[in-house]
Amino acid sequence: MNIEEFQEVLFAKGREAGFTEMEIYYANGRSTSVSVLKGEIDAYNIVESGGLSFRGLIGGKMGYSSTERLDNESIAYLLDEAGSNAEVLENEEPEELFAGSEHYHSVNTYSASLIKTPPDQLIEAALAMERIALNADHRIDMVRRSAASVSESEVLISNTKGLNCHRQHSSASASIYVLAKESKDAKETVTGGWFDFSLRSFDDIDLEAVALTGVREAVSKLGASTVQSDNYPIIFRNDAATSLLSSFASVFSAESVDKGFSRLKGKLGEQVAGSNISIIDDPLMVNVPSSKAFDAEGSATARHELIKDGRLLTFLHNRKTARKAGAANTANAAKGGYKGLVEVSHHNLYIAPGAASLAEIIRKTDRGILIVELQGLHAGTNATSGSFSLAAIGYLIEHGEIVRPVNQITVSGNFFELLNGIEEIGNDLRFIGSCTSPSLKVSSLSVSGA
Amino acid sequence: MLQEQVIYRVLTAALETGADFAEIFAEDKTSGRLEMVGGMLESSLSGRDYGVGIRVLQGNFSVYAYTNDSSEENLIDTARSAAAAIRGGAAGSRVMDLRRTVTDNRHYIGIMPDSSQKKRNIELMRRAHSTATAYDPSIAQTKIHAMNQLQNILIANTEGLLVQDIRVYTRLGISAVAEDGDQKQSGFSGPGAYAGHEFLESLDIEEHARKASRIAVTMVKAGNAPSGRLPVIIDNGFGGVLFHEACGHGLESTAVAPGSSVFAGKIGERVASPLVTAVDDGTIANAWGSLNIDDEGAKTQRNVLIENGILKGYLIDRMGSRRMGMPSTGSGRRQSYKFAPASRMNNTFISNGTSTREEIIANTEYGIYAKSMGGGSVNTATSDFNFAVQEAYIIRNGKIAEPVKGATLIGKGIDCLSKIDMVGNNLEHGQGMCGSVSGSLPVNCGQPTIRVSEMTVGGRKGE
Repeated sequence: MNIEEFQEVLFAKGREAGFTEMEIYYANGRSTSVSVLKGEIDAYNIVESGGLSFRGLIGGKMGYSSTERLDNESIAYLLDEAGSNAEVLENEEPEELFAGSEHYHSVNTYSASLIKTPPDQLIEAALAMERIALNADHRIDMVRRSAASVSESEVLISNTKGLNCHRQHSSASASIYVLAKESKDAKETVTGGWFDFSLRSFDDIDLEAVALTGVREAVSKLGASTVQSDNYPIIFRNDAATSLLSSFASVFSAESVDKGFSRLKGKLGEQVAGSNISIIDDPLMVNVPSSKAFDAEGSATARHELIKDGRLLTFLHNRKTARKAGAANTANAAKGGYKGLVEVSHHNLYIAPGAASLAEIIRKTDRGILIVELQGLHAGTNATSGSFSLAAIGYLIEHGEIVRPVNQITVSGNFFELLNGIEEIGNDLRFIGSCTSPSLKVSSLSVSGA
Repeated sequence: MLQEQVIYRVLTAALETGADFAEIFAEDKTSGRLEMVGGMLESSLSGRDYGVGIRVLQGNFSVYAYTNDSSEENLIDTARSAAAAIRGGAAGSRVMDLRRTVTDNRHYIGIMPDSSQKKRNIELMRRAHSTATAYDPSIAQTKIHAMNQLQNILIANTEGLLVQDIRVYTRLGISAVAEDGDQKQSGFSGPGAYAGHEFLESLDIEEHARKASRIAVTMVKAGNAPSGRLPVIIDNGFGGVLFHEACGHGLESTAVAPGSSVFAGKIGERVASPLVTAVDDGTIANAWGSLNIDDEGAKTQRNVLIENGILKGYLIDRMGSRRMGMPSTGSGRRQSYKFAPASRMNNTFISNGTSTREEIIANTEYGIYAKSMGGGSVNTATSDFNFAVQEAYIIRNGKIAEPVKGATLIGKGIDCLSKIDMVGNNLEHGQGMCGSVSGSLPVNCGQPTIRVSEMTVGGRKGE
């Protein structure tokens, strides 16, 4: 059954079953990816899949269900399950479907030709990056993974109130991950990697730059050792700062606030960060991977400042949280794929960049640690309390210069305190996902080492 | 799920360009998840995942393709597009006669999950909420979920294998949040099993609810953990995540075969203290990480990894077997048809030693007692691992003293295993989800109480 047919039968049978309003959220994607190892193709994946989430109002409550199979049997499954799921719900805020916004911005995120990139070109690219990396430095022991891929996806939301939103995304990427050793017999191994992407054409990706950056990331860690346990000024390079911000991004969700999982509860209008901090969610940026014209409920998206000069202006809302809080909907409804509920999430969340380059920030640091990698974020951070204690890799800075690599350390602190203690903000925003930070320098954090 | 003639024709199509092996993995999975926040049932979700993965091998070259459309025409197209990536292989491979084998079921399933259990599960969740809330006035919030999953799989390959299995999972997760002024801390307990609804009925829900609350209440009042190198006692049960991260991932053929693991080429060598014997056992009846057959159709086994400190074996899937010239250990696993299989752990644990927990604590003058562990991760190439401690205490003069929060433990695998200097006699297993190349999988992590003579503890307090 194709999706239009499926929707027609589903809604007709749903009406018979007593659903008064119904909606489908359909997503599907295709991708081709290739990775090479030691001059040979190691893995080659060609995938295509999709799925559909149904929600419907029955007995005044919204029931949800999902399927990856579009057949008659699944229609019965979706309606039965959504009905029995609605029946057991106890939340008192009724959800309702949305007929659509009056106006949507146009956001171009699709290149129809991208998925047609010849597989041979992807294979050649992966082989070329491996070759470049191996030739760039004799200390590269192995290229563990050199990979290239293209993908495209689409989302369709359609309901009985007349909503009909459709979007397509495409992207290409190239990545490398290498192992380095001082010599063949050396005991110490270090790793490093890099990746880049294009939303337009695979040809736009500078393969040599990806390979050489991956090499540099690895070899620069050779000879790393720990530092004395102490408090140090810390510079989080943009990628490390990004992973930290991502771990705490849920504190801006009105849903987290409402359920008591965010310390920002009750702080609207207050100074919650240093006056140098502004945090923005902008789904309408050009050439950024997570840009989109509508959210998971079909509301038209827009740019919002969450924190301006340190002051908390708004939380991120969907229709339900906005109504409950008596606030404006920021169109941040999100679904974790087609299986999930409608929740709240950011689109392109970022800390507004400053003026200094990372090199200048390092130069102005008399003694400190530049952190380039944080590990164990899923376990070592607590979004509720804001605390973090994370294994880290980086470099020791003395008198404004990097003097040696550092490993076997942890860095600990609190995200909310951190927002109030940022001394310098880099000018190096790099949009790679839905949450991004420039490099950040904080005056002091606890470091555990020797 | 698929007719034998269809399977035969799809496998034949997959071999057209000269591949030496092809495999079909079909999956039909239904799952349900209930979530209660603050005693109110906030969400109830049901879903059906359905798809077919086709893998084609030529030597060490692997092509993987998957689709949701299981019509014969589409499956043959998918097999052909996978085969098209294989070029220059010797023609002549053919599909052997498919021999349908019956899986021996080692796991008793009492009550199959279905939507009729929703209301009963909600009653059980409400009991967890009441107990967790009543534990202490500082408990400000609870989040409880119950999940069940019924996974039907079919695996067929060109060597003639045709096998089906049904896997049933049930799990309860209890999270409690304690508040003290501006401080918030959470505690978690998440028992799970390869079992049906009867698992929840027989569970001591109150004990798990009190555990989640105890952790939250203790931690919200705790000071910061110290920093530096200290002796660390890791308690039994999910403490085995230490071995899982420090060593288990490094023994997977995915890392060992290309030589990118510190454990590669070390069979027969000493890699841990002589007190350490470590096992990965996929056969334990009804255990969260058990399987009758792995996701390549091989029977799961009990694999001794380290015996008295000496490395004895690796965890090997089909690709690892090809690359290493060693037999599969029944360790090929994948989250779903959307992932090519890879070598993964099942139920991994350190075997019992002879000390009691009390002796280990009494023998420690100053250190950290990690009573309850969070998750962690490892870089298998460097063996750098890290993990978070959920609930920790200072040990002073051989006694458990004040609680401390925010302790992260880091180290290098072999180094840490060599420093295990006491092993308890109280082996238990805990349940977790393990994320890696072939997706997120249920695994058990187990151990008796152990002591590591020195580890880097990352807290916030300068001591």
